[in-house]
Amino acid sequence: MSLQPQYKIRTGNQMIAEGALHAGCRFFAGYPITPASGIYKTMIEELPKRNGVAISSPDEISALAYCVGASARGVKAMTATSGPGWSLMIETVQYALMTELPVVIAMVQRLGPSTGGATQSAQGDLLFTEFCTSGGYTIPIFAPSTPQECFEVTTAAMFWAETLRTPVVVLSDKEIGMTAEDIDFNSLKSFPSIERAAFVNGSLNSAPYRSYDFSLPNDVPLFSPVGGKYKTTLTGSAHDKKGSLQKNSPETIDVLRHLQQKIEARANDMAMVKIDDDPNATMLLISFGITARTALEAVAEARKNGKRIRFVNVISLFPIPEMQLRKLAEGVQTVLLAEENFSGQYRSMIRHLFDGKEIRGINSFGKMITPKDILESLP
Amino acid sequence: MNTSTPYLKESAAFPFCKGCGHHHYVNHLEEAFAQLKLDPSKICIVSDIGCIGVLDSLFSTPHTFHTTHGRSTAFATGVELADGILYDSKLKSVVVIGDGGATIGLLHIVNAALMNADVTVLVANNMLYGMTGGQNSGFSPLEFITPTTPGGNIVPPMDICSIVKSCGAEYVSRVSSTDKHLSSIIAAAINHPGFALVEIMELCTEFAVGKNAINGKTLQQMVDERNQNIDVLKDGFKRIEFSEVYKSKILGNQKPSQDDTIKRQFTSSLRGKQQWVLAGTAGEKVQLASYLLMRAAITCGLHATQKNDNPVTQGSGFSLSEVCISDTDIFYTGIEIPDIVIISSADGLKEVSSNGTLARCTLSSIIIAEETLSEFSAAGRILRIPMRAICTPQRAAVSAVAAWMTIEKLLPPESIASVIREKYGDKISLYQSDIGKIIPLLTEAMEKNQ
Repeated sequence: MSLQPQYKIRTGNQMIAEGALHAGCRFFAGYPITPASGIYKTMIEELPKRNGVAISSPDEISALAYCVGASARGVKAMTATSGPGWSLMIETVQYALMTELPVVIAMVQRLGPSTGGATQSAQGDLLFTEFCTSGGYTIPIFAPSTPQECFEVTTAAMFWAETLRTPVVVLSDKEIGMTAEDIDFNSLKSFPSIERAAFVNGSLNSAPYRSYDFSLPNDVPLFSPVGGKYKTTLTGSAHDKKGSLQKNSPETIDVLRHLQQKIEARANDMAMVKIDDDPNATMLLISFGITARTALEAVAEARKNGKRIRFVNVISLFPIPEMQLRKLAEGVQTVLLAEENFSGQYRSMIRHLFDGKEIRGINSFGKMITPKDILESLP
Repeated sequence: MNTSTPYLKESAAFPFCKGCGHHHYVNHLEEAFAQLKLDPSKICIVSDIGCIGVLDSLFSTPHTFHTTHGRSTAFATGVELADGILYDSKLKSVVVIGDGGATIGLLHIVNAALMNADVTVLVANNMLYGMTGGQNSGFSPLEFITPTTPGGNIVPPMDICSIVKSCGAEYVSRVSSTDKHLSSIIAAAINHPGFALVEIMELCTEFAVGKNAINGKTLQQMVDERNQNIDVLKDGFKRIEFSEVYKSKILGNQKPSQDDTIKRQFTSSLRGKQQWVLAGTAGEKVQLASYLLMRAAITCGLHATQKNDNPVTQGSGFSLSEVCISDTDIFYTGIEIPDIVIISSADGLKEVSSNGTLARCTLSSIIIAEETLSEFSAAGRILRIPMRAICTPQRAAVSAVAAWMTIEKLLPPESIASVIREKYGDKISLYQSDIGKIIPLLTEAMEKNQ
């Protein structure tokens, strides 16, 4: 039996915070920035009520470093920012990736470049967020399109960050983050709240504990915190499984490759797409984030006009859900991708999946894509 | 070379140049751990980048956390916040950083001192960046010759001890790396509950010695001269460590969140989506008016969205709000065709003129505007009423929204009254009076505009 609806007014930012709390986040450090400040404010208000730590930091570099330090101590940690703050965090994002320390970063996009437009919406930071690492490692990115999905996706991000021991991004934007609406709290979906797989003596044959130990390259090393019983050796420099600084030893190269392999190997498990299907579709419309929400209205309207259209809201943008997208494009002649940036950033990443099909971009810059924009672009 | 200790690796060959002060630094740090009889699992060495940063690899039993250039103190602060507040607060985090890292990450050191986080920062100050070729740092003295200051440094050095003292640090010390008391000074710093910093003055044999008239003796003189302003351990300690303050002042003072669930208690005859734009001046409750509209709609079982906009300075200029209400799910949350526009001030008119709201109006749009505003044109019916004079600027937007909802009858008047009462209690009578005066004026304006 389903519960009675329980409506509350919330923004997407507040729902990211709610999702983090639900997932067991115990540490938040933040620096205010429009349009992400609502996450910071909610965490400052709510996290201490659940015996967690939420503090302000003097800048974004400190915010993420505090979080990664707390993660090394063994707690689930999160911060939130927007484009200008993300610029400052990139050094530490790479560090978290290299040291295999989980952390979730909510990236609420605004119009760039530089200080850009603080209160203007955009989906222009997709590639900037994904390709921030030297070496081109995959940063898992989950993009919600509604406040309800903000909740769900943040629990997913926390789940995968802890599972994979890697930084994970929740990619939102100003229109999702700062728009308030009625949310039925009894219909929210979530991923399970999990704890990092921990090392206990004897759990691997290789005792004593090695911070980056794995048998198969896809394995995620068992965790032990700084301050715990087993000596940890954490380093952002190239290292072997023990954490000792090494240059080009085969084991070190294995460790570096493993950072990518552990994510790639789980691409299918991480895939999150929401499909609004027409089995006889002649066209596939792909979108994500706020534009995916808008697209639902356009799709309903288009069908009234006899269009045969299949729609997919891609939530797990990276790793790219290639298998799912290829399958969805089967039988259609045209693939359309709607996103609020001028160059078609996600389109550039996935067009190779649709060989032989007509590919169209629906783009806007400095303003939301409207249902009308989408309808007028359909074949 | 080191022989077996509880902390250092057996027979670890130090990777430092002959005569480099880092040898003393490592040995004294190890000796400090021994003096305090620390359990190695309760030590976290957080090292920075640079020659001193490789120190982590020499230790066998403490936790080591080799971080990024300049940021080590921030990582250590994160470790200590989690340890102090969420765990048993027994971990000792020791930041191992050079003067280059301290130059880069000065803010992190300053902030740890301001917070009084339980972090011990040991700055190895050899007055230049050694690992990358001897460039001058923020700690290089005047006249100091380095590869990047071949004619002598022309920028004075910072005094890290004075800086952190001015930030409230209570344990601050500056010593030469050859000082025989170094290990007990480090031990006292680690033992200090709260932020502690020791500046350890050293000689870089590779880049400083030979090119500058500097040796162990002059280094000691430099320490003595600079220490004239530093009082160590003089007044006793007054500050409480950050995590203790956080636990008592923040965690200990939490009130449970109030349940803000909205009951669906009324019904609405609205079918489809209705799009509202409210525009006025900051501080005149424009965004509150749209919030009350959204809330009233939700009490009637409708869905609603609200977006606000204002200049970056927040408290001045225009205030704008866009609300969609609908009996079905709302997908597009922007305003395509405004059904109702309420303009309560000149700031609001300027904004809806420039952001395209008025241009998107159609013949069916209703535009309720303050009577005294200058002339403007838009498709739809423009209803001018003296809302500022009747309701006062503070109540104009709320009253105009409520009046139109009453006339339109899409939401029952009780839903509107209930949200205003929730917000204003007994002051609702003021609004009811305003609304009562506006309704006939709006009705009259509608008739004129048929």
